[in-house]
Amino acid sequence: MDCTNKMKVIVGDLTIGMRGEGFSYIFSGAKAGMESLVRDGKEWLYRPPMPTFWRALTDNDRGNGFGLKSGMWMSADRFMQCVGIAVAVDDRAVEVPLAPANNVYGGDVEAERATVTFVYRTITVPATKVTVVYEVYARGDIHVRVHYEGREGLPELPVFGMRFIMPTCADKYRYEGLSGETYPDRMAGGIPGVYEIEGLPVTPYLVPQDCNMHMQTKWVEVYRSKVLDNTCKEERQSGIRFFAEEGNNIAFACIPYTSLELENATHQEELPAARRTVLTVLGAVRGVGGIDSWGADVEEAYHISAAQDIDYGFWIGGIEA
Amino acid sequence: MKPDIRWLDDPQTFRVGQLPAHSDHRIYANENEMERGESSLCQSLNGKWQFMYSVNPASRPVDFYREDYPADHFQEIQVPCHIEMAGYDKIHYINTMYPWEGKMYRRPAYALGADSAQEGAFSKADYNPVGSYRKIFDLKEGLRGKRVCICFEGVEQAVYVWLNGQFVGYAEDSFTPSEFDLTPYIKDQGNLLAVEVYKNSTAAYLEDQDFFRFFGIYRNVTLYAKPKLHVEDMWVKPCLLEDLTRGSLDIQMRISRAVSETEQEETNGRVKIALTDPSGCYGTAQTGVIAEAEGNASLAVAVSMPIDGSVHLWDHADPYLYRLVVMLVDSQGNVTEVATCAVGFRRIEIRDKVILLNGKRLIINGVNRHEWSADSGRCITVKEMEYDIECFRRNNINAVRTCHYPDQIPWYDLCDINGIYVMAETNLESHGSWQKVGIEPSWNVPGSVPEWKEAVIDRARSNFETFKNHPSVLFWSLGNESYAGDNIEAMQRFFKDKDDGRIVHYEGVVNNRAYEDTISDVESRMYATPAAIEEYLENDPKKPFILCEYMHDMGNSLGGMKSYIDLIDRYPMYQGGFIWDYIDQAVWAEDTVTGRKTLRYGGDFDDRPSDYEFSGDGIMFADRTEKPAMQEVRYYYGLHE
Repeated sequence: MDCTNKMKVIVGDLTIGMRGEGFSYIFSGAKAGMESLVRDGKEWLYRPPMPTFWRALTDNDRGNGFGLKSGMWMSADRFMQCVGIAVAVDDRAVEVPLAPANNVYGGDVEAERATVTFVYRTITVPATKVTVVYEVYARGDIHVRVHYEGREGLPELPVFGMRFIMPTCADKYRYEGLSGETYPDRMAGGIPGVYEIEGLPVTPYLVPQDCNMHMQTKWVEVYRSKVLDNTCKEERQSGIRFFAEEGNNIAFACIPYTSLELENATHQEELPAARRTVLTVLGAVRGVGGIDSWGADVEEAYHISAAQDIDYGFWIGGIEA
Repeated sequence: MKPDIRWLDDPQTFRVGQLPAHSDHRIYANENEMERGESSLCQSLNGKWQFMYSVNPASRPVDFYREDYPADHFQEIQVPCHIEMAGYDKIHYINTMYPWEGKMYRRPAYALGADSAQEGAFSKADYNPVGSYRKIFDLKEGLRGKRVCICFEGVEQAVYVWLNGQFVGYAEDSFTPSEFDLTPYIKDQGNLLAVEVYKNSTAAYLEDQDFFRFFGIYRNVTLYAKPKLHVEDMWVKPCLLEDLTRGSLDIQMRISRAVSETEQEETNGRVKIALTDPSGCYGTAQTGVIAEAEGNASLAVAVSMPIDGSVHLWDHADPYLYRLVVMLVDSQGNVTEVATCAVGFRRIEIRDKVILLNGKRLIINGVNRHEWSADSGRCITVKEMEYDIECFRRNNINAVRTCHYPDQIPWYDLCDINGIYVMAETNLESHGSWQKVGIEPSWNVPGSVPEWKEAVIDRARSNFETFKNHPSVLFWSLGNESYAGDNIEAMQRFFKDKDDGRIVHYEGVVNNRAYEDTISDVESRMYATPAAIEEYLENDPKKPFILCEYMHDMGNSLGGMKSYIDLIDRYPMYQGGFIWDYIDQAVWAEDTVTGRKTLRYGGDFDDRPSDYEFSGDGIMFADRTEKPAMQEVRYYYGLHE
């Protein structure tokens, strides 16, 4: 990519923006997260990405009472409070709240790197915290680091990660990982490769439930043509890339629904009309189990303890031509 | 013989006027027909029939079978088809509970004591729908002047049959063929066949399978003619010597002759038997005059044919089939009938507590398969069967359990041809009688209730007699989830007395270990955890172990399969299992809100009580597309082929 080694940082009154060659980002304290991610002129965020703690229960989850044990994570997924924000530009802390401290910044600030950190407190009992760090580099790449603070007394998690909701449905996605839908306890049959998936298929289980998980993924690229921008006269496909840290993998699912939308439906046709792209990029995934569907638990190795810390990271960037 | 509606209430009456069950060999008038696969001796009666639905026996049109009955008000129905799928009765899915749960209080006849006959339990019920079918037909040329029989391949659940106003017989057992001799009443033209089908009878207690509860004529109806000489039954037993290379074919046949005044002089004849190999050339094995029929109406013929040279074995990797052709020739030397069936040489046995096939340890990479189509329920076509077999081959599935009833006959042919090992299950499931709040067998059938014994043995017999010649059948299964008692023990004895070498399987004895030594050659479990299996195998196990059901693939499931597959390498006596199950059971319908074509499951038809989506446990979706978990099956089942 032909780019300068500096980007512009706009220390606003309520938001902090970063602009560079082919990208502009806005992080908002009021909205408690990254509010805008524009690459190549296209907005990629519908609402700020948030930590996710819930999957739509599978039939096996229902059978073994997982919802009864871990149901508080469902509301934690829906409601959470931002309890801390920190901003740093080239490692120099920027005072928050930004106004009136931002009066010291005359015009645009130039930087090689800017970091915005959000701390979320869960509504679980006991509560715990999640810290999400967005590290933005002048070339436009974002390194997202996510830390879940383990807490004794909390029930097991079905998943942990970040959920990105995009304004419109994707045309397709590509990824390097395993074939098909895989879970930690069901991925031996997955064949490594690069796969392209047209549209945003939802696995048509009789009762909608968690689906389309992809384990052991190096990268995933989401391609969209449709935008909400009223000035857009002509649809143009472009993509965004989420990729694992060097030597690591991510898990992801890319469907048009949130876990709660899936959770609500008893049949496929009850799902709302597909209008967004919901990409979850996960650091931990619970297995699906298979011994039976009326009580047997997922094998121990595929549980996610909420008492242990979870740390993972990934990158967001453009698609290399 | 007069029909009696009280047969519905009596477990001791389950076949009246029915022909004995027999082998499923095909018959043709001559060799040309056999080569074309079209028999002039057979006539399908599938198609549009006149139909009347009644909600209970009291409101049924009692005289509908009479030739002078005015049937103008009858509606139409397709045969074969479930009556519910045609819209006449409610579609209902329920798992273990009997379908009348919460609606009427019923107990099985005699289960509470010898004086508890439960009269009228079905014949006088307010809700026990009746389907009254009428079909008018002419005989095709090839059937005229011959003895004519009718074969109902599947009618659920109790059926009375009349021809031209005369009562012909009564049958239960929804999943095996029911045949009747029409000869005394048949005409060349203008025959009236009348069939009265009841949704429930005492058979309901034995047919409590976890599936959609249907009734009606849901498999083919076929007329067939018996030529002057006819192979009623043949049992073709391939025998292998210890070296597995030399063998012989033991053949037992029952041949009938037409006895009529005009044909008296032609009743003698000869039997020619030939075994052919897959290249199709006749005479590579044996051809010759084997026996001469003397004046008997029915003749038993027993032949042992040694096989020249070394025998080509049959197994999953190489499903090599021979074909047996039996020609019946009359005294003038004319061929009257050609009967044929496939023959495969294989030896199944238990040695040192390990199941061996052709001397090698058997590994079951299996799946349970219900017959299912989202369009037409358990009324499925050969095309769907072929699709399923192809799916098995593609995904390294080498075995099928016909849960929990015998399938249509072509399925067994396809398993022979494709080397799919079959656990041939008898039509028996009574879990509603003992799985209530946990295991609660205070009353249960068949149990040890004497009045229920013959009914279950008859089911075993029909299963055995129909499918005994299929090399793919390695196991006879006594049924599913029917607890254990004297009657299931008697079923085991029935199969053992046949001494065909096949392994007899039954899982339910684990719930009543008193019968452990007399029921089931294998330790069979369902949904046992890997740890529980190890516990059995580490503690002086008596029998080889198989999982008749495991990896319950409901919705998004099939995680943790490795823990089961790993047992194969650790324990020779662990021999694999059958995934539950092959295909989601759901029904296509149009969603009235969105107009979308959509899959409906239990409870979606206002059917209560229901077990809702519990019918969706397949590795295939109901529309026969593979679930994502299939790649996992393909991988793990590919490790021990």
